[in-house]
Amino acid sequence: MAEYNKPIPVPSSESKPYWDGLREHKLLMPRCDACEGYWFPPSLLCPRCNSAKWTWTAVSGRGRIFSYVVYHRVYHPGFADEVPYAVAVIELDEGPRMISNVIGIAPDKLACDMEVEVIYQPITEAITLPKFKPVTA
Amino acid sequence: MNGLRDKYAIVGTGKSRLGQVGADSLSLLEEAIKNALDEAGLTNKDVDGVVVRGADDIYSHHQLVAARLGVDASFSTSLDNGGASQILSIILAVMAIESGLATTVVCGYGRDSWSRTHDKGGAGLAQNDLIPAAQRPREHGPEFGHFGAVSQHAFGARRHMFEYGTTRNDFAAVAMAFREHALRNSDAVMKKSMSLDDYFRARLVVDPFGLFDCSLNTDGAGAVVVTSTGRARALRQTPVLIKGFASHNNTKGWIQEDHMISTGAVESGERAFRMAGLGPRDVDTAQIYDCFTYMVLTQLEDYGFCKKGEGGAFVRSGALRLDGALPCNTSGGQLSEAHVEGMLQIVEGARQLQGVYGPERQVPHAEIALISGHGGNQVCHSTLILGKA
Repeated sequence: MAEYNKPIPVPSSESKPYWDGLREHKLLMPRCDACEGYWFPPSLLCPRCNSAKWTWTAVSGRGRIFSYVVYHRVYHPGFADEVPYAVAVIELDEGPRMISNVIGIAPDKLACDMEVEVIYQPITEAITLPKFKPVTA
Repeated sequence: MNGLRDKYAIVGTGKSRLGQVGADSLSLLEEAIKNALDEAGLTNKDVDGVVVRGADDIYSHHQLVAARLGVDASFSTSLDNGGASQILSIILAVMAIESGLATTVVCGYGRDSWSRTHDKGGAGLAQNDLIPAAQRPREHGPEFGHFGAVSQHAFGARRHMFEYGTTRNDFAAVAMAFREHALRNSDAVMKKSMSLDDYFRARLVVDPFGLFDCSLNTDGAGAVVVTSTGRARALRQTPVLIKGFASHNNTKGWIQEDHMISTGAVESGERAFRMAGLGPRDVDTAQIYDCFTYMVLTQLEDYGFCKKGEGGAFVRSGALRLDGALPCNTSGGQLSEAHVEGMLQIVEGARQLQGVYGPERQVPHAEIALISGHGGNQVCHSTLILGKA
């Protein structure tokens, strides 16, 4: 297998549980114990009510493509063989939005509001990326 | 805030050389400030305030600028509000003068991104690399191949297209109108006309944006001098009155709520219009922060020049052209004059109100100009409304 030459995420002290969850094929999001809202990326307090009490909570992994773009320009050598490739903003059913890739579909077949679900793609021993694929009926 | 309407004025404007200049950002800014002071009939001895934005990796930038000017300033600071900084610098200047901290303030911004990305020594950087490494995201983006401003704004363009039926033809109308203006402006970097075919033939960068949807990679600087209208009356130039200003920041993040398709121009514009006692119909020329074509379209909606979702039809109607309903970015803007993060838009708005141009480039009977600043990757926004004295 060719050496993995794309950027490898560097977890922060706050995001470490998120990356630990992905390694076990769980998509975890911060969820406020007080107002029950989810958010992402993690931060010390709930951005809605500023409560400090919250819990890493597994979400369904289902969502929709809120928006997407197709990169034709190479900004990093790791993507030189991939252009044109799509990057999407995924809105999870639970509410939070995150950047990811939608795979298993040609970029020109993508559409906003298309339903997607998470798949787990390990890239190193420590890091597994959450990517998405279209939900098939 | 209404008490400040017309109380302060822009009394001088200046640009540096623009384009592939091959000069440091500090020297470009010094050049622009000197030109602005000369135009005002002022010298460094008259200046006691400096409000500037620097390159992201220059610490205490304002000190370096004031040192070059030979000014001990009673009020001096750098600011950090992205492309919204340049109007915010004028707002800070007004606040400083109003509170007695200074009397005459220079505001400016200089940029050498062309030079830094074309270093002949081989150390040339990609534009994204102009952001210091420590400030770049290390997770939740780059691992998916997501890098930089083009993409971030393209996400908004795509969602706007989905919700409102906006098309790349609409974006082309913005690019072509501003290019046509650039051909009338000898300072503008872009010298060739642009047809719809030219627009669509240009390479895609991050779809839905192609090359001509993106602002220019240029060296350049702009500056203005702000003082009280009372003081301004005694100076060489007819002052340009500061009638209204405001800012708003969608600081929850560009990815949140409807921030991709509705900018801080909604709130900032509403407050600035209220301060000026004016509305969208009173504006004779708009100088809109055009980092990307789509951002012009959505800001025009957010300011109320047309309804939300109707920006595409509005720009395709020819409204933005010099003879249109709302002559917009009459210098060519950042898409076709030079990208100086909105500073040149302030210069152009002021000069249109001074009526300095010949008929080929002057907005007839221009009395009110609206200028927008937009930055922080679709987060920060500022508005300036200027009036003919």
